[in-house]
Amino acid sequence: WKDNAASSARLLLLIYNLCISTGQPPGRPELLRCRSPEKETFTCWWKPGSDGGLPTNYTLFYSKEGDKSIYECPDYRTAGPNSCYFDKKHTSLWAIYNITIKATNKMGSNISEPQYVDVTYIVQPDPPVNLSLEVKKQVDGKPCLLLKWYPPPLADVKSGWLTLEYKLRLKPEEGDEWETIFVGQQTQYKLFSLNPGKKYIAQVHCKPDHGEWSEWSSESYIQIPSDIELKDVLVWIFVAVLSSVICLIIIWTVALKGFSMVACILPPVPGPKIKGLDTHLLEVGKSDEFLSALGCQDFPPTSDCEDLLVEFLEVDDSEDQQLMPSHEKGHPNKNMKSTHKETDSDSGRGSCDSPFLLSERSREPRIPPSALQTPDISEISENNARKNSCKIQSTDLKGKIPYFSIGGTKLSAWPEAQLPNNQTPKCSYHNITDACKIALGTMNGTVTSVLGGNEENQQSQYSKPTETIREEKLDKQGEVESLHSKADQDRMQLLPTEKSPFLSAKLMDYVEIHKVNQDGTLAVLPKQKEDSGKTENCTVPGTSKEYAKVSRVVDNSILVIIPVSRVQTTPMFQEPPKESVQNLQQSQTEKNMSYCFTTPSECKKDTGGLDYLDPTSFMHSFN
Amino acid sequence: PKASHGGRGCYAWLCALLWLLGKPPAAVFVAICARQGDSSCRFLSVSDLFDRVIQHSDRLHSLSTGKKFLSNGNELGKWTGKCHTSRMLTPNGKEYVQKIPREELTHLILRLLQAWKEPLSHFDQNIGHHQELSSDSLSKAKQISNMVHELKTGMEKVTEKMQSMGIISNSLNGMGSSEAAGLSISNEANLMSDYEFIHCFRRDSNKVQSYLKILKCRIWPGNSC
Repeated sequence: WKDNAASSARLLLLIYNLCISTGQPPGRPELLRCRSPEKETFTCWWKPGSDGGLPTNYTLFYSKEGDKSIYECPDYRTAGPNSCYFDKKHTSLWAIYNITIKATNKMGSNISEPQYVDVTYIVQPDPPVNLSLEVKKQVDGKPCLLLKWYPPPLADVKSGWLTLEYKLRLKPEEGDEWETIFVGQQTQYKLFSLNPGKKYIAQVHCKPDHGEWSEWSSESYIQIPSDIELKDVLVWIFVAVLSSVICLIIIWTVALKGFSMVACILPPVPGPKIKGLDTHLLEVGKSDEFLSALGCQDFPPTSDCEDLLVEFLEVDDSEDQQLMPSHEKGHPNKNMKSTHKETDSDSGRGSCDSPFLLSERSREPRIPPSALQTPDISEISENNARKNSCKIQSTDLKGKIPYFSIGGTKLSAWPEAQLPNNQTPKCSYHNITDACKIALGTMNGTVTSVLGGNEENQQSQYSKPTETIREEKLDKQGEVESLHSKADQDRMQLLPTEKSPFLSAKLMDYVEIHKVNQDGTLAVLPKQKEDSGKTENCTVPGTSKEYAKVSRVVDNSILVIIPVSRVQTTPMFQEPPKESVQNLQQSQTEKNMSYCFTTPSECKKDTGGLDYLDPTSFMHSFN
Repeated sequence: PKASHGGRGCYAWLCALLWLLGKPPAAVFVAICARQGDSSCRFLSVSDLFDRVIQHSDRLHSLSTGKKFLSNGNELGKWTGKCHTSRMLTPNGKEYVQKIPREELTHLILRLLQAWKEPLSHFDQNIGHHQELSSDSLSKAKQISNMVHELKTGMEKVTEKMQSMGIISNSLNGMGSSEAAGLSISNEANLMSDYEFIHCFRRDSNKVQSYLKILKCRIWPGNSC
């Protein structure tokens, strides 16, 4: 069995070798296609079949129509492997070729199916060349794309042998679909529907009138310039900046003047207003003008000092002394006395409180009221010329502060304590119903408060500080008002605004009675203060019932007082007008002089600033 | 068809005018139209006329290469015979076409057209008998017949024009012989099958078209060449 196996194996091996070594005849080749690029030559390609394991030879045979002979392919190499190239000589148009491929190997051969080819209809040219894209600006500014190309070099279009038709296709670079345009036989084209700013791809191919389309040419790119030029952008930037600046300006203006604009647009509701009456005058202090609009005359009424009725002359030196003639006002008197310490002239006593005022002022600098009075004073000085008013001038800085209280006049001088020394007297103001007006003399910085009771404007001015105090001292106010009412005319009381400051009355000077005139007027001289003792009694003379009436003001500096024998029921709580007679000159001897008497300082201390007049000095005058 | 009709009228007048004037100049670009309101009559140059002829032949060829008429390799195998015009010696390459003198080429075109005139008319008359073709093909055949006729007429006119202009020389003998040749050939066309008939016509129309184009670009190079 071993031998049988070996022999059978050997036999099998032999058969196998035979099978392998013989090979197979080649498979059937197949003609793929034949193409002519220019209708002058053509090429045929075939696909070989299985070669059967043996090297196979391929041959192409063809025969033309009308010619029975068979020819072999003239050129196997030019067109590449498995191809046959027919040159011009071997190409005949309008003739049908019968082409076959034969595959041959050792084992056998195989022939493909015949292919009938008419060259006229197998023309497929090469793609066009030199596709150029150019963006051109039109008249209206829109861009247009000009495409130009050339026919394939092999195609003879010039002689009319080939007639090519072209087709374009475009798409944006990032697009997906091509836009195909049939162009015809022309070799250029103008495209208008383009999107600025995009990049386009373009291709072209061609076809002979009876052939097949060529392959697409190579891609050509073109960038369409955007239609936004730099100058347009600059214009828009400029416009934006300008508009923003304008908006900012408008906002700023509205912010700054918004309220006024709002007021302009929405005017505030006007308050009540009396036609012809300017309330602003009140504020300024021009009571004359204000009241003139009202139609009042001289409110408070102003007249000559001589015409004025001096109601009473208040002299008060201490609390226990009744200075007020109207005893019914004793209570208020006391109050005044007591409060006179705080206030200087609120008591209604017609005494100048300048020492008090001064002392107080030194303690408590209360400038504003005096400041308030300052303009009044200045105005008073102006008005001084035109009215006969009692002028009380404060002393100079040296301390000569003569003052006196004039009943009815109720003047109190308030020289401003502008100087550190308290010697500058400060008298509280009373509104002067009478014609006493304290004119500010030419003083060195000191300002005397002048009660220009005759002056309406002054009155109003004085009333202002009075008003401020009134609320504080109601009782005194009552006195004042009562006094007021008693007067013939309206008398506005000027309460000292600075009550407390005027309590210090150290700087009261005595007025020396110069002489007594025949008719009983007193001539008083200012006395040296430093020597003036403070020992003067502050007793209120019982002659308070006698009041001096300011008859007139002489020489702008001298008050003429005349005694009036009459009992004042209503005490003059007003502070005695303190007028400092500046120039109580000796020359006044022949004149009726009225003086303001300043109470001694000590009296002020005791009484809280009550000024009084030493009656003894002028008692004798009242004959 | 319209163009050829209008062209015919224009040609007649033009020829008359030219004859009156004697030897015409080399290029005459006047088409005198006797009938007013004839839209087809306008000023045309000979080259324009030629272009119209060419367009006509294109249309003719397009008709002949319909779906039904398209031939692939396999179908061509059926055809064993020849066209009746196969005997006519026609250049089958570009060089040959370019080498032929103009007159011969022109004459050749005319002969071809002539050769198909009769068979086509016969084809229409016997249309009922041709059952191989579809109705669409039959209508096309009729149209082709008319177009061939128009084309031939137009070509004759242009040829006369060109001859009168001196572009091509006169050779009346050629014309006469073409007529005779066409008659003999057309007799053989009756033997062809329908498929062969159509196929042969298609080829010949292509020939005519190609020859016309070559001829035009030889005479008037530039414009559309």
